[in-house]
Amino acid sequence: MKNLLAATTLGLALAAPAYSANYVIDPTHTFVTYEVGHFGTSTNRGRFDKKEGTVQFDRAARTGKVEVTFDLKSVSTGVEMLNKHLQSADFFDSAKFPEAKFVGDKFVFNGDKVSEVAGMLTLRGKALPVTLKATNFNCYMNPMLKREVCGGDFETTLKRSQWGVNYGLEVGVPDDVRLLIQVEAVKQ
Amino acid sequence: MAVTAAGMRLLPAGLLVLAISTAAWAEPVTYVLDPQHSFVHFEVLHFGTSTLRGRFGQIDGYVELDRAAPGGWVSLRVPTAAVDTGMPAFDARLRQSDLLDSEAHPVASFVASRFSFDGPKVSALSGELTLRGVRQTLELRALRFGCHTHPQLQREVCGGDFEGELDRAAFGASFGMPFVANRVRLRVQVEGIRR
Repeated sequence: MKNLLAATTLGLALAAPAYSANYVIDPTHTFVTYEVGHFGTSTNRGRFDKKEGTVQFDRAARTGKVEVTFDLKSVSTGVEMLNKHLQSADFFDSAKFPEAKFVGDKFVFNGDKVSEVAGMLTLRGKALPVTLKATNFNCYMNPMLKREVCGGDFETTLKRSQWGVNYGLEVGVPDDVRLLIQVEAVKQ
Repeated sequence: MAVTAAGMRLLPAGLLVLAISTAAWAEPVTYVLDPQHSFVHFEVLHFGTSTLRGRFGQIDGYVELDRAAPGGWVSLRVPTAAVDTGMPAFDARLRQSDLLDSEAHPVASFVASRFSFDGPKVSALSGELTLRGVRQTLELRALRFGCHTHPQLQREVCGGDFEGELDRAAFGASFGMPFVANRVRLRVQVEGIRR
């Protein structure tokens, strides 16, 4: 009887995420890190620290929608001079375009795990399609929050020139920018 | 006589080649780490779900490369209190005694003298990482290695991207396991300017 009860409870717990639910991005476990090659020698990295967003997610229907906004002034490279240069019209032009936004509404599933999210990335006022591939995806019950958390790691490589970020292309600063995205969202 | 004249013309050319080879290859060359392009990034899996990342810098250190031998030597120091995850509260937690223990052990160091080469390029190195006062062998694999001329300094810069893994519990930094994994992946960017 005890076992049956436990099994039923477990069943319910597992079944619960099957319904469409709203999630709010956990900013402490959601970051975008970019990687750009430096003179064919090493890889420069930077990270965006301020962000907010929401996710609607329905594992039964295999649909979802994610909206995340990043404050471009919050870029952190570990080099103050570079953080400042990235704000200029050479790169983000953040005085005119303070935010980058990703809206993803095409979720691809592999079993009950999200394997791909496609949508539009807006940077410098220009929205272009981007597909993020999942390298990890999972949902778990967070013991501190006592709520379900879903998230994973996603990545994509984009050409910055498509958004008009052309600085240094002529002297060999690469056009390819790899994005590594950590995301976790808490069920509401 | 004609043969001798031709030989004399060859001789300076031969000496020149020797001189260039000697300068370029025979002596160990020292490179001072460029703090703007030298960072240690770490990655650790959170609840089996997503990857936590953080960065250490600035790194002080230097590298000696002897491409003729071939061999190398690197020594670098990483201030642990300067850990930067993008979340000040998490950085403060990382500095506590059950993780980085930055007050008692303000510096992590890495010293390596076992270099592997693939032609003129460093392909791997193995050395000793000291973290929280615990010393363990750490192997780093080169994902890429290259040299270029620094456009402003007009000096040779060599560097690359290196990767390795460690078990944090082996250094006594075991807080939060198993929710936060034991296995830590290191992704090291390094560039050194020729002295």
